[in-house]
Amino acid sequence: MSKTDLPDAKAMLDSRGLYDGPTIHSMNPLLLMEKIIRERIIDSMYWKEQAWGLNAATLLDRAVELQFIGGQYANQKPTPFICLILKMLQLNPEREILLEYVQDEDFKYLRVLAAFYIRLAWPAAEIYKTLEPLMADYRKIRLRTQSGYKLTFVDEFIDELLTKERVCDIALPRMPTRAQLEDMDELEPREPLVSDVDSDEEGEEGEMMEE
Amino acid sequence: MSKPKGVYDNAATGDTSFRRTWDREEYAQKAAERQSREAKERKERYEAKLAGKKYIPKSEVDANAEETRFDDSRMIEARRGRIRLDENLNKVQIVPLGTTGSRRGKGPGYYCEACDLNFTNSLEYVEHLNSKQHLNATGQTDVVERATLEMVRERLIWLKQRKHEQDKAEEFDLAKRLAERKTIEEQERLEKKERKRIKKEETRQKKVLTATETSEQTSGVDVDAAMMARMMGFGGFTSTKTR
Ligand SMILES: [Zn+2]
Repeated sequence: MSKTDLPDAKAMLDSRGLYDGPTIHSMNPLLLMEKIIRERIIDSMYWKEQAWGLNAATLLDRAVELQFIGGQYANQKPTPFICLILKMLQLNPEREILLEYVQDEDFKYLRVLAAFYIRLAWPAAEIYKTLEPLMADYRKIRLRTQSGYKLTFVDEFIDELLTKERVCDIALPRMPTRAQLEDMDELEPREPLVSDVDSDEEGEEGEMMEE
Repeated sequence: MSKPKGVYDNAATGDTSFRRTWDREEYAQKAAERQSREAKERKERYEAKLAGKKYIPKSEVDANAEETRFDDSRMIEARRGRIRLDENLNKVQIVPLGTTGSRRGKGPGYYCEACDLNFTNSLEYVEHLNSKQHLNATGQTDVVERATLEMVRERLIWLKQRKHEQDKAEEFDLAKRLAERKTIEEQERLEKKERKRIKKEETRQKKVLTATETSEQTSGVDVDAAMMARMMGFGGFTSTKTR
């Protein structure tokens, strides 16, 4: 018998009775997104029309179509990007599947989508190990905000995921810094893959966006 | 027997070959499942008889749970294309008598043929397409097959191939446009060259004319030449000769 998923998030958000499905950070994965934005997603046309009935394979069709990242735009309209993030929280794809997404070279928006999900859902050490190598990806991506489009880059976005508390209008789970994880022996000191990336990174975090 | 076509399966996106490979595996798997299910049912029937009870098939106990839930062939397929929400827009439709006020029957807006229902806005219509009522009417269940790593890999490969083909087509298009551009540029270059040549020729002729005049007046740059000519006893040594 093959396993199944549900076409939408209705059952997972049913408040009657206790939630007994799979958890992330020991909670209902959908609750990783604040209620107000989650409800805007669930009420959106994109969610109902295009995110409905997806599984981890057909989600790819939508991910490769993405034209921009971001949280909310215009009149607090959720971007397809965060709609797909909620979809992934609902589907809770296996680790190997996420690695498949994130390691793909052809579709940059698929990569950042998976990176965002990993930041939300995985343990801290795993996040650093998986996302840091993506800092060598300098491809351009578009960010859509309430005030319009901005240009950013894959490496810059990854850096934000690792250093900021809120990205794309979503509060990221608290995470120890790399240095703290190294002190706790959960993480090996970072190998300088590309030396100039390492030196550039210091003291510039977050400021690159304003360029 | 192949899988019944999902209502959202859009032939226009044409990934049927991709699905067919799944169908074969699914069919084999389903056949195996059916056999084990039947064997299980026979066993249960036998046990019920031994215990002196009437055997009730599971599907009758809970028609909506076990049996239909795991029938793969009726699982939802994700929408391939966009729902055509503009289909009935800007179209005058005749509302059959007696259907006004009710949502049953055809009317202006969005119409679901399977359920004979009419919706005034696109969101309501899409919500209907997602509803259990509609899924039942179109022979689908409200579950989606969970993707395995293998399925994810296959789909990614297929999407990459599609992308590379699109890129190649675009590249070809670009090359074509570049070639056209080059032809135009070459044309323009030749025209410019020609104009330059004509201008040069005109200037040269003007110069020649001036030179003739000067030589006659024995002034300017040709003074030396004129002097020489005089010294040597003949005139017209300079440019006049080239005429
Ligand atoms: Zn219907």
